[in-house]
Amino acid sequence: MSHAVELRGIVKRFGTFVANDCVDLVVKAGEIHAIVGENGAGKTTLMNVLFGLLQPDGGEILIDGKPIVVANPRAAIAAGLGMVHQHFKLVPSLTVAENVFLGMERGRAGFVDHKAQIAETERLSRDFGLKVDPTEQVGLLSVGIEQRIEILKVLARGARIIILDEPTAVLTPQESRELFQTLRGFVAQGMTVIFITHHLEEVMAVSDTVTVLRLGRKVDTRPTADVTKNDLVQMMVGRSVSFDRRQREPSTGGTVLSVKDLWCRDDRGLPAVRGVSFDVRAGEVVGIAGVAGNGQTELAEVLSGLRPASHGTFRIHGEDLTAASPRRIRDTGVAHVPGDRVVRGVDRQSSIAANILMGRQDTPPWARGSLIDWAVVRERSSEMMERFDVRASGPDALVKSLSGGNMQKVVLAREFSHDADFLLVDQPTRGVDIGATESIHNEIMRQRADGRAILLISVQLDELIALADRILVMFNGLIMGELPGDSVSEEALGLLMAGVQTGPDRAAVA
Amino acid sequence: MSETLRPVIGQAIAIFIALALGTVVIMVVGESPILVFATLLEGAFGSTERIAGTLLQTTPILVCGIAACISFRGGLFNIGVEGQLFMGGFAAVIVGIYLPLPAGLHMLVGILVAMLAGMAWIAIPAFFRARYNANEVVSTILSNYVAVLLTSYFTIFLFKRPGGWSETAPILPSAYLPELFSFSRLNWGLIIGLALAVAVQLYFRHTSRGYSVSIMGQNLKFAEYGGVDIKRHIFLVLLASGAVGGLAGGIEALGVHHRFMEGFAPGFGFDGVIAALLANGNPIGTIGAALFFGALRSGSLLLEVDTNASREIITVIQALIILSVSAQILMRRRGDSTAAERRWKF
Ligand SMILES: Nc1ncnc2c1ncn2[C@@H]1O[C@H](COP(=O)(O)OP(=O)(O)OP(=O)(O)O)[C@@H](O)[C@H]1O
Ligand SMILES: [Mg+2]
Repeated sequence: MSHAVELRGIVKRFGTFVANDCVDLVVKAGEIHAIVGENGAGKTTLMNVLFGLLQPDGGEILIDGKPIVVANPRAAIAAGLGMVHQHFKLVPSLTVAENVFLGMERGRAGFVDHKAQIAETERLSRDFGLKVDPTEQVGLLSVGIEQRIEILKVLARGARIIILDEPTAVLTPQESRELFQTLRGFVAQGMTVIFITHHLEEVMAVSDTVTVLRLGRKVDTRPTADVTKNDLVQMMVGRSVSFDRRQREPSTGGTVLSVKDLWCRDDRGLPAVRGVSFDVRAGEVVGIAGVAGNGQTELAEVLSGLRPASHGTFRIHGEDLTAASPRRIRDTGVAHVPGDRVVRGVDRQSSIAANILMGRQDTPPWARGSLIDWAVVRERSSEMMERFDVRASGPDALVKSLSGGNMQKVVLAREFSHDADFLLVDQPTRGVDIGATESIHNEIMRQRADGRAILLISVQLDELIALADRILVMFNGLIMGELPGDSVSEEALGLLMAGVQTGPDRAAVA
Repeated sequence: MSETLRPVIGQAIAIFIALALGTVVIMVVGESPILVFATLLEGAFGSTERIAGTLLQTTPILVCGIAACISFRGGLFNIGVEGQLFMGGFAAVIVGIYLPLPAGLHMLVGILVAMLAGMAWIAIPAFFRARYNANEVVSTILSNYVAVLLTSYFTIFLFKRPGGWSETAPILPSAYLPELFSFSRLNWGLIIGLALAVAVQLYFRHTSRGYSVSIMGQNLKFAEYGGVDIKRHIFLVLLASGAVGGLAGGIEALGVHHRFMEGFAPGFGFDGVIAALLANGNPIGTIGAALFFGALRSGSLLLEVDTNASREIITVIQALIILSVSAQILMRRRGDSTAAERRWKF
């Protein structure tokens, strides 16, 4: 078998920091090649070098056996490469077809030929089984669809070697399965796929070969059939990691959050949450399961004051906060880990310290009077970075220079250190490596033991099963049922998530 | 390349390209570029008096630039600085003529009223932006025309000096902003501008509200999520920006002209906005950019005397700078952003 991609001794430094240290990588033509490693191991950096977004400080790149210089993404595309990034780069105000052809518009005499673009998008969509409506506006679509558009963009540019950076981080299990079918289709047509992931089940399920990176170096490349999940964990973090259900004391606290018949609309003005009621008690983790886009995000936004409720109430410690501002809700003792870290969770242009300061800029000791004490901010930020294992050069590092998982840890560090009684946690381990996922789970359990009330929204069923005392399943804006965390099966959850009600729970819904 | 250096280098390249294009234009109109640029330099920095003249032109551009910086930092565009300058200048003159007060105090009250006038002039666009998200670019641009015409109407029909041109009576000497040297009208306005640039820079870096505003300017959704009261801050930022615009008018009125007249300040407000853009919203950087535009303006005076090139050449060069700076900013933003985090949103 020939080599689609060969990297020889790639070195990439940022200042004095070595992100890729003499990495060799061979990807055979027609295979699915998985790349795994901890947050900050250098996976994205290596792919950015291959795709011409970063220039290596040393090493060679061969495509189809021929050495080439990938000066920029244009050169990479010309060589047959395509990349779907960790954070999408779509223009929300344009349609699907316009996004697919952005920068390479089809047209005549300077005018864009929308008909041709739509037709071609439809053809690609059909050929590769990526269902989209070419005329829809991208800003209104779910992340799962956005990803299809990103893949279509790559295909429209004629890519034969497709790189996907953490494609499943934003997907539901169902969407992930569909994605993998698409990828299988690609290799069946002779294309080559490289994908980065933190989910080892995915590596085992779809890849032919797997490469492990650690601290900027390559640990090994192996045929997937020859390794077990445990082997991979050992290679990645140097120890084994467990995701079994956590041991716990029963929770006995009083009600902290009380939601009654809550309704709200989504961005398009359609009902997104349609009359949900539930309580969360102190020292309890209540999980919310559901396929993304069934109202979970909107629910979280209402509870944090970012979206108005159209009907119903929610109270924290008995205080009605339904119409309160985000500031007031925070002051009452709510911390919020938002589902979309790049949009809401951080300011990428600012330093880690400035990001951790958010929400406390008026509070001593962070500020004295109306002056910010940056020395204290930096010092506290460094402490938090240590506690939450944020890997960066220091508190002054810009957030945009962080790896995806480390960005998420900055958000968690800030929110979990607020001493809030109620934690609203949306997808806490999205894009986070397994070692760090374990420590985030530990942190959530520690917060629970400290008597916090926690609402955990996740599309990761194993995460809910490991952490939640009770699991509520949302479908189409409704709570379909409640399952106890200690005796729940993925099958039962799956049925409720698909909108099928099971016997004993029907009463809870009515 | 370091993160802080990149924009600076980008701007330098943009100016260089603009000057190169300017050279071409100068050659097209049949002049020697070397002579033109040499005359410009000579006119701007050729003697102590000329340097003072340059600084005199720099002062209003600097203060207007700071006004623009304040709005940029909050992710907002106050393009109405010119109008706020006219309103501020006019209000200061009225105080200077009709409100006799002890020397010094009179001047301070004049400056204060100028700032209030600038603030009042932006209050409506600010309110509509904060409350209804009405685009402030459009409303502040429109408010410019109203301000210029309104003050000129007042001057001609209500406050005209008997027998004079379209100008008001002079203000009382007690309201004068003191001059720095005997040989120039250069006045304390320059010192005020420099101090303000430093103060604004420190404010954004070291105060809680300055921090909230900066974050709001960079990622509005993040600021909102973090508990920053967006509407309130948008309103306050625009008011502060308008106040500084009014201050620029007050300085011109009480420090330079000592009266109000038609065409009170030709385009200082717009130059200020461009200077702030060139400095990427940084008040300290705006000092340099304002000096650059001030030098172009004062150098161009000699240009008309010594060469056949018209002063309009300077306008052309400025337009080229605007074009290349905007192009440069747009390109930089395209290289580094997801759609969700665009800071400059029109
Ligand atoms: N532009 C940059 N400037 C400075 N440091 C950077 C830059 N880009 C990446 N780094 C650093 O290089 C290291 C590797 O980052 P990279 O994004 O490749 O990690 P990753 O393996 O993709 O991690 P994740 O799984 O979290 O996405 C990180 O420590 C990161 O902070
Ligand atoms: Mg990455």
